[in-house]
Amino acid sequence: MFSAAVGNTNEIQLIGRLDASQVVAAREVLDRITASSTIDFRELEYISSAGMGVLLATQKRLAGSGQKLTLVHLNKHIRDIFGYAGFDKVFEIR
Amino acid sequence: MASLDSVFEYVGEFMAQNGIDRSEAYSLEFIVEEMFTNLIKYSRSGRNEIALGLRREEDTMVVQLTDFDVDEFDMTKVSDAKTDEPLGDRRIGGLGVHLVRKMVDGFRYEYSDRVGKIIITKNLGQDDVQRGGRKH
Repeated sequence: MFSAAVGNTNEIQLIGRLDASQVVAAREVLDRITASSTIDFRELEYISSAGMGVLLATQKRLAGSGQKLTLVHLNKHIRDIFGYAGFDKVFEIR
Repeated sequence: MASLDSVFEYVGEFMAQNGIDRSEAYSLEFIVEEMFTNLIKYSRSGRNEIALGLRREEDTMVVQLTDFDVDEFDMTKVSDAKTDEPLGDRRIGGLGVHLVRKMVDGFRYEYSDRVGKIIITKNLGQDDVQRGGRKH
């Protein structure tokens, strides 16, 4: 299952597993972002290309107003996959 | 996509029964999900069923997905996603096959009598960074 915790200071924590069946739920959270935000992956154990697409779409939308997502605390598997996808070129990843 | 839960459950059972380390779980689940969802997306099947087979051959995992009553569609020939483009030019989608190709050691397609099979092999005990994005 996937869920997200939205903090007070433009921080969103992704929790659980973001697979293709959870894309609608992920969009409901990420579509609400209108300002630069930090996405914390500490509690996210898995993401597939469907979830990555939602992140990329959000980043593209925010770029239109000069805003961006910063991704933090990725586990090793997610960090590797994001590297293969070139996400390190279009997201700040810490 | 409720069927993904049962797919992941099957993957977990396979790993436990075959003594495959949990460190391999991410890759295996990712590969299976990406292939499964792509077949559903592109399948022209009237049968609406995809057979998933997993087996271990010594230090290699073999993943086979079989699609029935379909036109030929060789997913292995899908081009790599363009991952170097600037944000404005990046396409949403098209990453699944590209990423699977980076993670596996073998990726082939067989088609006969309206049955398509994707067969993927992945050597155990070698993480994706070491694999280094080998092309097939």
